[in-house]
Amino acid sequence: MDREVLYIIGVTLRMSFFSTVISCLIGMPLGVLITSTKFKGKRTVKKIINTFMGLPPVVAGLIVYLLFTRYGIFGSLGLLFTVRVMVIAQCLLITPVVISLTSGVCSVNSKNLLETSKGLNFSKWRILCLFLSQNRASLLSVVLTAFGRSIAEVGAVSIVGGNIQWKTRVMTTAIMLETNKGNFSFALALGIILLIISFAVNILASLLVREGDEE
Amino acid sequence: MIEIKNLTKVYKDRAVLDIESLVVEKGECIVLTGHNGSGKSTFLKILAGTLKESSGEIKKEGKVCYLPQQCIPFNKSVRRNITFCLDGSRKSKNALCDVILKAFGLNHLEHKNAKTLSGGECQRLCLARVLSKKADIVLLDEPTSAADKESRAIINRLISDYRKQTGCTVIMTSHTDEIPDFDKVKIIKLCDGKITEIREESNA
Repeated sequence: MDREVLYIIGVTLRMSFFSTVISCLIGMPLGVLITSTKFKGKRTVKKIINTFMGLPPVVAGLIVYLLFTRYGIFGSLGLLFTVRVMVIAQCLLITPVVISLTSGVCSVNSKNLLETSKGLNFSKWRILCLFLSQNRASLLSVVLTAFGRSIAEVGAVSIVGGNIQWKTRVMTTAIMLETNKGNFSFALALGIILLIISFAVNILASLLVREGDEE
Repeated sequence: MIEIKNLTKVYKDRAVLDIESLVVEKGECIVLTGHNGSGKSTFLKILAGTLKESSGEIKKEGKVCYLPQQCIPFNKSVRRNITFCLDGSRKSKNALCDVILKAFGLNHLEHKNAKTLSGGECQRLCLARVLSKKADIVLLDEPTSAADKESRAIINRLISDYRKQTGCTVIMTSHTDEIPDFDKVKIIKLCDGKITEIREESNA
């Protein structure tokens, strides 16, 4: 396979992996917290999160671009047009999705589970671990959704990453570029590779879910 | 000891609990009886702290553990269900778990996923989890509801033995007329949230 294609696949997987992991590390505990805690303004918080779920990727890209541009708040970090800032932009898009889906998954039987946990004098940390482990099969699908969203994203990453060859070019932005150039065979090849990667991740996840169920 | 004064719980303008005064001495065994909706579970939930009372005063001494009516087995093996509730090193947790599994007749099921247990086995497991916490006050909401006659006898014996060993206070609910065969029991009957009868039974 072409060296450049391999590099593009590497950047794509690296970016998707880190944005999925970070979004899940932030989003899942917050999702459990929203389900298991009563607080003032809970409905409003849920509505805000649902609104952010629909945040257009280009708007997310624009927000992050303005924050990290030379004159932005974080301009001194020099992260614009790097994979790191692409991860940040993706986290902004994916974290609300993870929070909302986790909250939905954990809300099944949450009242009884919470009563059982409080009855056993569990600490907040143990309650969090319990909620996550109780629904691990469904939460795996949340992780898959986050990964799928990340690997398929093009708007935000092209704004903050710049689609720079040998640096920030990922599969989706490469497909967009090659299509615009009329180089359809190359774009199609990249598209097929992207599909194969998504398919492989799905197969792996469903095997893990089945193993988890059998346990 | 538990001291209750003027405890009320109101749901949508309807008083579901109204207890003027009640004192439970240390080491006592209380069985709450009454028809469905008499306030038994509400009373236990308020004592356990999972539900807030509308008004009144509750004084409790010691650690409280509570077994809800709809207790959920964790999506783990039976062994892991118990060790997850324990504190301490892995070695001490495993050693204590071995004792608990044997006492509750669950050792042959230790590696089975708790979600695949039968109703009676699940209740025994949930009870084992609660009793493993060595609380001073143990609240049990219908601990034998899913069990057959034989399992009910086993569960009641386990509760009785635990009480004798630890001297803890046990408050449990029962909506059947079957009262556990403990040596000394105080039976409190609730009707529409109020205490209508208190009597003592001794099987010494």
